[in-house]
Amino acid sequence: MIDNGLLVQMLLGALLGVSVYLPLATGQLSLATPAFYAVGGTLAALLSTSWPALGARADGSFPLPSFVLELALGGLLAGVLALLVGRLVLRLQGIYLAIATIALVEIVRVSILNLPFTGGAVGIFGIPQPFPTAAGYLLPALALLALTGWLCQRLEVMPLGRAMAAIRDDELAAGCMGIDTTRVKLTAFVLSAVLAGSTGALAAHFLNTWNARQGSFDTSVTMLAFVILGGSRSWLGPVVGGLLLTALPELLRPVGDVRLVLFGLVILLGPVLFPQGLITPGVLERLGRLGRLGERLPRESEP
Amino acid sequence: MSTYLLEVRDLTCRFGGLVALDRVSFGVQSGEIFGLIGPNGAGKTTLFNLISGVTPPTSGAVLWRGGAVTGLASHRLNRLGLARTFQNLRLFDGLSVLDNLLVALQRRPRSTSLAGVLASSSHRQAEQQRQALAWQLLNELGLSALAEREAGTLAYGDRRRLEMARALATGPELLLLDEPAAGLNPSEKDALCDLIAGLRQRHNLTVMIIEHHVPLLMRLCDRMAVLDFGVRIAEGTPEQVQRDPRVIEAYLGGGGAA
Repeated sequence: MIDNGLLVQMLLGALLGVSVYLPLATGQLSLATPAFYAVGGTLAALLSTSWPALGARADGSFPLPSFVLELALGGLLAGVLALLVGRLVLRLQGIYLAIATIALVEIVRVSILNLPFTGGAVGIFGIPQPFPTAAGYLLPALALLALTGWLCQRLEVMPLGRAMAAIRDDELAAGCMGIDTTRVKLTAFVLSAVLAGSTGALAAHFLNTWNARQGSFDTSVTMLAFVILGGSRSWLGPVVGGLLLTALPELLRPVGDVRLVLFGLVILLGPVLFPQGLITPGVLERLGRLGRLGERLPRESEP
Repeated sequence: MSTYLLEVRDLTCRFGGLVALDRVSFGVQSGEIFGLIGPNGAGKTTLFNLISGVTPPTSGAVLWRGGAVTGLASHRLNRLGLARTFQNLRLFDGLSVLDNLLVALQRRPRSTSLAGVLASSSHRQAEQQRQALAWQLLNELGLSALAEREAGTLAYGDRRRLEMARALATGPELLLLDEPAAGLNPSEKDALCDLIAGLRQRHNLTVMIIEHHVPLLMRLCDRMAVLDFGVRIAEGTPEQVQRDPRVIEAYLGGGGAA
């Protein structure tokens, strides 16, 4: 039921979930991830189809180094955009920031739809493939997720990560403790954009076609649901949320059109049944203990 | 010519039509404990907010070692050597007691994020130094047994001490304490008094303290200023202030032809 293609999509969902989580870890509700995803994806689609130096061949194959270069460039372009936009929008807080970032998503979507070189409503198709099958994409997607997870894990024992947690708890007090709150928030926003941009570049090749609909307001909401269902206390939350909620609509395909209703129900009931998300601090603590013991907890020791 | 560590000149703050502070001037000398008293609503906390960069002043100047620092962001002022606590306790409730201090210690010493990501030896060394400083402060303020607890779950008195520890962790020269004794019982107030005096000694601090509990201030302060309706009505040693007729009037009410 879960084939390789779906697995790759699930991993992409997990990556995008972490991208929404990063600004949220500083207490900023940003829905801009689809905009940066679209920017990264569009860049990769354009470069690989119209820049011969990257080495796309007539049979639709694509050299791996060029693919990796595109992931980096997609992240870089999204990061630069985030740096410029972030200085402005991060002056806003709470729901106002969310609205401003939705506006950004719309601006990017409409731009891609109307620019002369991005293929209009049809988009860009025939994007060359660095891997012959969907299974090939598992490795780069997993590598990207592993790198992201490792970085997030390092953040927890670094000044930057602690500053993020402090700002999330009390921004004013964090400022009074010498933390440059504007800078930390901007850093998280840029990291989030870099991740989304690279993910977009990966997705463009995987999907083979790319158009403006890839980054829309709908996707903002779905990605936010990844974090809400998974939990926003650790990067593992959005990973779990992204994996599950990407798989769910596909797994529900046998039940027909009712699947969208069921999907909606899960998004609706998730926060009701798990207000802190699936990955709560309690779950993390148990995971940590398991990790320390190595393997196999004796049953009696569980309280 | 200014010998003050911190000086405010004609500091004014208006919120719409309300004048919270009206041309307040005074100076705090290095090493002293300077008290700030006044009836509720006199503008004491507003004054702290202006000095610590939380609220920008409407006019007037704040000087740090004689140089203007008016309107600087709170993190810049903190890095100059000015730390504060809050009247209504603003701890990082979701973080552990130890992490609350490590947040404040992040520039002692500084380390780059790149070193952190790579877990380089310079990062590990910096972390060790920060941890050591944090434990030193926890021990000093009697919080070491609570190090792993979430700050939000602490008892009130412990939270007050943690706020002081966190402010100290930034390595300040001037510590602003906003009603540190509020809600403490008499014996706790005595202990706090000794603690503040001891901290000044050990950390070479200058302390500015807002407090309603007058006996505590009389015991602790070298000098003090009195605010009433946003105006500084007196400044001097506790004895001078105590005898000032305007202070007596502000606290006890004008007796007409007294």
